[in-house]
Amino acid sequence: MDIEEKIKELERRNLEAELGGGEERIAQQHARGKMTARERIDYLLDKGSFQEIDKFVVHRCHDFGMDNKKIPGDGVVTGYGNIHGRLAFLFSQDFTVFGGSLSGPFGEKVCKIMDLALKNGAPIIGLNDSGGARIQEGVVSLGSYGEIFKRNVWASGVVPQISVIMGPCAGGAVYSPALTDFTIMVKQTSNMFITGPQVIKSVTSEAVTPEELGGAMTHNSKSGVAHFAEDSDQAALDRVKELLSYLPQNWREKPPLVQCTDDPWRVEKSLNKAVPANPKVPYDMKVIIKSVLDQNRFFEIQKHYAKNMVVGLGRLNGQVVGIVANQPRFLAGCLDINASMKCARFVRMCDCFNIPLVTFVDVPGFLPGVNQEYGGIIKHGAKIIYAYCEATVPKISVITRKAYGGAYDVMSSKHHGGDINYAYPSAEIAVMGPEGAVDIIFRKEISEAEDPAATRERLIEEYRNNFASPFRAAELGYIDQIIFPENTRPRLIQALTMLQGKRDAIPTRRHGNIPL
Amino acid sequence: MSHVTAPMGGKIIDVKVKPGDSVAEGDEVVILEAMKMELPVVAEASGTVKEVKCKKGDAVEADAVLVVIE
Repeated sequence: MDIEEKIKELERRNLEAELGGGEERIAQQHARGKMTARERIDYLLDKGSFQEIDKFVVHRCHDFGMDNKKIPGDGVVTGYGNIHGRLAFLFSQDFTVFGGSLSGPFGEKVCKIMDLALKNGAPIIGLNDSGGARIQEGVVSLGSYGEIFKRNVWASGVVPQISVIMGPCAGGAVYSPALTDFTIMVKQTSNMFITGPQVIKSVTSEAVTPEELGGAMTHNSKSGVAHFAEDSDQAALDRVKELLSYLPQNWREKPPLVQCTDDPWRVEKSLNKAVPANPKVPYDMKVIIKSVLDQNRFFEIQKHYAKNMVVGLGRLNGQVVGIVANQPRFLAGCLDINASMKCARFVRMCDCFNIPLVTFVDVPGFLPGVNQEYGGIIKHGAKIIYAYCEATVPKISVITRKAYGGAYDVMSSKHHGGDINYAYPSAEIAVMGPEGAVDIIFRKEISEAEDPAATRERLIEEYRNNFASPFRAAELGYIDQIIFPENTRPRLIQALTMLQGKRDAIPTRRHGNIPL
Repeated sequence: MSHVTAPMGGKIIDVKVKPGDSVAEGDEVVILEAMKMELPVVAEASGTVKEVKCKKGDAVEADAVLVVIE
């Protein structure tokens, strides 16, 4: 063969590899409303930036007649490229090849790009669309999964890891996404579960469809395993790009700074009325959040789960911030098990990646109830404390209304390493609400009074004025400044700017023992 | 058919619908008082109110069915 023929042979092999499992299977993929592995990469990465690695790798299985069935690439497309000009490593599972099932070489390909990502400090994106372990590979497939999981753990907190579930992801395979920082799911065409509907039916007789058991909305609202539910492959990939724009390449870098075109001194008069005068009336905390952020843009995360807790990313003066907030509209803004986990995980993720935390507080306490107690609200609530006290990124809080009891402490208080703690004039910072406090402190007076009901009302009003306000806390230095709500944005930006160079550390140890 | 349930235990302080009313997703159907707050409870789906299982002043538990919508 002369050189020209060899080049032609390479071109032929390239095209063959790019067809994956063949035209027919590609058509089936499209018929299901799904993109192919390579189409997804094309859509996600900057044009022309994709460098494929291990295109011609094939499996080495000799059992079950597999020798005659070798497809180049072996079911996964791996490599690196740019997303909005920034390096990322990725793997894209190819459902058209052996159902996207994982073999030894498939796993090795994925591990190779994960190792490269770790050495070069860039995000790892996983596009999941796979039937799981390739049975013919036997235990080799399990070993392969194990090697991937280990690298997910080694990479955790080193580089951002994002999983996009774009098809089935079942059995052991789900553990890789579970270990990553963010999971994005496509509605109707993707699902995640450890044991599927058939096995569940045969063991427990429960009947459930794959979508009900482990579809996008199930994991976004019931289990809290996923962070985003998207309508299509394209929307899911758009979400990846949006998410990455808020994150640094690795733990040693700060998130990307952008030019701010929104006046950092913008005063928002509407905020003076945002918190209703009647403490019994709820309001939407997201209105306050959006009004202070650059361009009023709030990238909410896990919006369908634990709605009493709001988390997400945004920018203040061009700088990325992590927003945490109680949401009075749901469960009165109480903290419960799910809200605690959602909050703690987000806070720790921000701390991993140098994202300052801005916390808006309006919390009447923890949700009472036998279910909460049996469910371990004690240790789940403790997770919030652990996350905030461990975090060394700048921590700013704004108490808009209630901050009662232990919930006052856990929500980024001064005592848990808060750098700057603001409160609105409407703040009620107290050990408990006026009614409860008066019933305990003045139990004797009320029962011995001529008019117990009137006495009680008077005492409640006095307590409310003296204690359920921000001033007692401000006198103690627990609140640094009581601010006018309309100035929230400039105050936050001034604090953030002051805290730009913050360096802090907690005592050295192998690692702490967070209650799990 | 969808059930509007109490998000937490509390006291019903207002019922805003009666059988036969048509509701849209997100409409307030009941006001529940819990944790010293007046919380609107909304319809999860559009439809017609089939049955109202609570009245003003009732104490309800978390997950109690308050309104049935068809």
